[in-house]
Amino acid sequence: MAKAASGRSRTGKHLPEIDLLPVMNLFCCIIPFLLFSATFLEVVVIEMAQTEGVSSAGAGATANLMRSEEDRLQPKIIMTQQEMFIGTVSGTVHVCYAQETVVDGETIITFPWDSLSTDITEVYELLNEVYPQIDFHKITILTVEEMRYQNIIRAIDIAGEAGFDQPGLQVAPSAAVSSAMRGGN
Amino acid sequence: MSAPSKRKVPLLLGSGKSIALSRGGDKKVTLNLTSMIDMFTILLVFLLKSYSADGQIVTVSDQLVLPKARMEQRVELKLEIQVNNSVIVVDGDPVVSVTTDLLSSGNSIPELVVRLKDHLEYSRLTRGTLTEEDTKINIQGDVDIPAILLQRVMASCSEAGYATQNLAVIKTETLEEGDV
Repeated sequence: MAKAASGRSRTGKHLPEIDLLPVMNLFCCIIPFLLFSATFLEVVVIEMAQTEGVSSAGAGATANLMRSEEDRLQPKIIMTQQEMFIGTVSGTVHVCYAQETVVDGETIITFPWDSLSTDITEVYELLNEVYPQIDFHKITILTVEEMRYQNIIRAIDIAGEAGFDQPGLQVAPSAAVSSAMRGGN
Repeated sequence: MSAPSKRKVPLLLGSGKSIALSRGGDKKVTLNLTSMIDMFTILLVFLLKSYSADGQIVTVSDQLVLPKARMEQRVELKLEIQVNNSVIVVDGDPVVSVTTDLLSSGNSIPELVVRLKDHLEYSRLTRGTLTEEDTKINIQGDVDIPAILLQRVMASCSEAGYATQNLAVIKTETLEEGDV
């Protein structure tokens, strides 16, 4: 093979390169298509169960209604502007106190959600242990009229994670909620 | 003193180019596509991950901020009610203004019940009959609305005949304490 005067061969120095232009063309077609089909915010839904209302006399007013065993035993997450409880047929358990948080210069009420997560998981496990014949899904969120929607959704979400995936909502004046707390479920 | 060299160096060649390369005036300068391919590959993976065959079924109004939740149930195309602290909108039409009277205790909202009943009646007339799917409704609520407003909207839906009420939320993988 002929060599240059310097004695260095030029052949074999260039490695064969892959032609990337067709790949680039493919990418240029695929990326706009995917960009139009992409959803960056996925909207999902929470299906709410039908619940009976709470009268001003409190939850006791509905206690005598004919209900299924699961309905009778279903727990309640009771949220007031001060604290949160879990109500069951055997009584009411304090979960946590409300916290004030400033968001965009506005003071809002929120809760330490880890406490609820721990307690509601315990309640679910306990109910399944005591009543293995019942498949528990239903839970009621009982709250005061002023409660922020985000807090309700958060409570539903945590209850869903624990296994209570059929939430219902009851909204009542503070006096009725206090009555429900005293009367358990 | 020696005279300056008259050798012409192509302008497009960078200062880091070797003299051996700059000598070859007939060589083509090619664009290095490798880094661009890397970037496109990352972009492709990201877009494939957020690809949705269904597309965005629900349009979220910019007048409200939906809460976040870790739910999985997919949204279906149903009648939409959008609720924020100033107005209740049904299917794009403002129906009721939110006033302090509306936020006091009470059950259904009469104007909303009438509007929803009209919609259900329209569905009945156009399809001849009503199925369970026709009695489902999606409620988009702003994170700041009070529980009483949501309860009154839900009570109105029940009274109008919408038995299944779905609350629309933004799906998230993890919830942090800051998501208030």
